[in-house]
Amino acid sequence: MSEATIVVDGLRKRFGSTQALDGMTFTVQPGRITGFIGPNGAGKSTTMRVILGLDRPDSGAALVGGQPYRTLRRPLCHLGSLLDAAALQPSRTARNHLLWIAHSQGLGARRVDAVIEEAGLQGVARRAAGGFSLGMRQRLGIAMALLGDPPMLMLDEPFNGMDPEGIIWMRGFLRSLARQGRAVLVSSHLMSELQDAASQVVIVGRGRVLADTAVADLLRTSSSLEEAYLKLTRDAVEYRAANGTEAAR
Amino acid sequence: MTGVLRSEWTKFRSAPGAVWLLVAVVAVTVAGGAATAATLRCPSTGCTGDPAEISLTGIQLSQAVVAIVAALMVGGEYRTNMIHTTLAATPQRIRMLIAKTAVVAGVVALAGAVAVPAGVLVGRPMLADRGLTLALSDAAVQRAAFGSVLYLVLIALLTVGVAVIARDAAAAIGVVLSLLYVFAILAQMVPDAELRENLREIAPMTAGLAIQATVDLASLPVSPWRGLAVLAAWAFGSLVVGGVLLKARDA
Repeated sequence: MSEATIVVDGLRKRFGSTQALDGMTFTVQPGRITGFIGPNGAGKSTTMRVILGLDRPDSGAALVGGQPYRTLRRPLCHLGSLLDAAALQPSRTARNHLLWIAHSQGLGARRVDAVIEEAGLQGVARRAAGGFSLGMRQRLGIAMALLGDPPMLMLDEPFNGMDPEGIIWMRGFLRSLARQGRAVLVSSHLMSELQDAASQVVIVGRGRVLADTAVADLLRTSSSLEEAYLKLTRDAVEYRAANGTEAAR
Repeated sequence: MTGVLRSEWTKFRSAPGAVWLLVAVVAVTVAGGAATAATLRCPSTGCTGDPAEISLTGIQLSQAVVAIVAALMVGGEYRTNMIHTTLAATPQRIRMLIAKTAVVAGVVALAGAVAVPAGVLVGRPMLADRGLTLALSDAAVQRAAFGSVLYLVLIALLTVGVAVIARDAAAAIGVVLSLLYVFAILAQMVPDAELRENLREIAPMTAGLAIQATVDLASLPVSPWRGLAVLAAWAFGSLVVGGVLLKARDA
């Protein structure tokens, strides 16, 4: 198995009466962008939280480069992630926010300044991050994900709050990461954002994978990614209804 | 470990107001002691009382500021969800807790090491005016001073543990201040003398502050170092429970 591969294997996780993850299984390969798509509540964020060791699954496992995330000593040098762009202390400057994260990985201020530039934050790095627009915070999150120059990246809704220019920048940026041979997992609930960028899609619903396929293959049976997505997730809704009847019996 | 420590230190020094809260620890310690010394009422036969304890009365107020410092260090991360970033950067949660605890203990020790001597030096001449001698060379006075710094550090550790359990700064401050002040007041109100003594022996504040006593040690509910050990047990207990929960719970 390649070193830069994220493996999600049979994750199950229940929150109260909700089965958030119901056997979630897929692999993220290096050198391409894998779109992670599904309706709200499909289990995308929970899967990502499990990969990061923030949530513990009831069963199943997630491996990052062959290891559980929680055992990694400098995890951000293996897997860079952006889960919640707003999860920062609002009065701390963007640069200081990146600096404490860099220090935790044994990295220094030089690396911080490099990622600030890569994410296009030079002008605002010494401003309090709390005053940033969501789009700017996404860029800050990208900077954070890049700190450890990781072979794997995982971004949850990175297009959220971005203006059209930002979306175009983000798409190009993600593509360049994949071209460098990195494994890139990008969640989104909008197909259009990932169009032309992702080469593989994992479509999920109700905590499990509905389809894990090359975009090119999907387009062979459907006229657009969007149509394929709607067809698949509609089936998921029907599945839910059938399941409910079964449970009532 | 050095990376995590450095990271927590960077977080602390770039947190708004953190340094000012430490300044407040010093100011409140000194002002509290000075106010107590200045308003000391003595009978015509002359002042009696423990000069070290009087000059260090401010600790009883500044411990609240220390609790706020420690609670914000932990609770602030939960309020903003920054804790997710912290745990993604250091998934070894106990290592993160140890580093954070060490940084909080370090800065509080530093503030205490300034506050306590300042409190003693400000209170000393005021007490001398009232005929109370605070002998700096006295081993008991030195123990009271050194012990007061440790007392503040232990209050910080207790609060870190409680804040990790509560995952909320305001709740942690409420719990710690209740544990300190309300417990002490309630212990005072118990009619049964023996039970009252027993409660004063285990109350973190009354037991811990025994470290400040320099005269009439026999009348204390617990001896100075044993009293501080009681507070240390509280702090250790809260950190252990906090650590177990931090490791077990979803972030």
